[in-house]
Amino acid sequence: MDPVERTIRTVLLVGIAVSVGLMAVGLVLGVARGEALPRAMVPISALPAALARLEPAAYVSLGLIVLVATPFVRVVGSLVAFAFERDRTYVLITTIVLVVMCLSVLLGRA
Amino acid sequence: MGVLIGILLVAFLAGVFGSMLGVGGGVIMVPMLTLAFGVPIKTAVATSIVCVIATSSMAQTSFVSRGMTNVRLGMLLEVATTIGAVAGGVTAVLVDGRVLQVCFAAVLLYVVWQMNRRRGDGEPLRTGVLEAGYYDPASGEEVRYGVRRTRLGFVLCLGAGNVSGLLGVGGGAFKVPIMNLLMGAPLKATIATSNLMIGVTAATSAAIFYGRGYMDPHWVVPAALGILAGARLGPRLAVRLPARVLSVTFQVVLGVFAVLMVLKAIGAPL
Repeated sequence: MDPVERTIRTVLLVGIAVSVGLMAVGLVLGVARGEALPRAMVPISALPAALARLEPAAYVSLGLIVLVATPFVRVVGSLVAFAFERDRTYVLITTIVLVVMCLSVLLGRA
Repeated sequence: MGVLIGILLVAFLAGVFGSMLGVGGGVIMVPMLTLAFGVPIKTAVATSIVCVIATSSMAQTSFVSRGMTNVRLGMLLEVATTIGAVAGGVTAVLVDGRVLQVCFAAVLLYVVWQMNRRRGDGEPLRTGVLEAGYYDPASGEEVRYGVRRTRLGFVLCLGAGNVSGLLGVGGGAFKVPIMNLLMGAPLKATIATSNLMIGVTAATSAAIFYGRGYMDPHWVVPAALGILAGARLGPRLAVRLPARVLSVTFQVVLGVFAVLMVLKAIGAPL
């Protein structure tokens, strides 16, 4: 594996592990409190407080946020790895991908 | 409890096929969720998008460590697919959705016909463009290849991104034939690379769906867990099976996908 491939693999493995871990915590908390799976995500602004209260929905939501964020982090990781390899073309290409990703999230919100 | 186990099983199978073929499993998840479990369509699409991300991430850990993913090719084409996905909203306003669906179905059937005619990969091309190599355990050979028609492939990926933006699928069904049939990359490298690419498009859509409140943990959590398990198995199958078997499976899945799209276009309750 070259450095770019190794970076991608590490980011993805960590992302999956953290995400599954958080969802598992949420499920265990849910069973402990005798609650079923929540029917809606906890909004990001309300997350810290809900996490502190050990609400199952908060841990499940954070787990899913981590899962969804992993490809973004993967692209950032590739960008850094290409920069270390001094591959200017691919630093540029990866930056464009990242910018368009962020742009479409912003446009989708509007 | 029965529903939970049902979702886990369906997601597991979608994970196996989605990662084995590089299409992400949305093709299987959306109709199954709406038809078999009565999930509302937007919730089903949101669930399926999370599943595509999970498939992509999990499968990639395996493909990338085997050197099957052509990271540079994937990143280059991601420029096109992400821009295409952003433009998806514009296309949706300009063209009637049902006309689009029928057109897509026609393209898919054309792809099936082309893949069927070719009967697996030919000799790998040595073009020197975006060259990469991997070890194929099925044939016991080291395969080195380059790609051709990069510009045309890039332009068509704009279209593939557009489709995924419109239909809420990862677009792998189009990316695989573009890289394999048009650009000449071997099928296994194509499947691995498509797997990497679909995660990016799906993550963008998922962020939007999350913001709009379409994600229901009741469906998403078991689906994501099932798909993660399935996507651990799929790449192993993809690596070991002969390219011919993968190609035929791909044709069947694409054929079913095309038929479902036509049914949807003519107003069948999917």
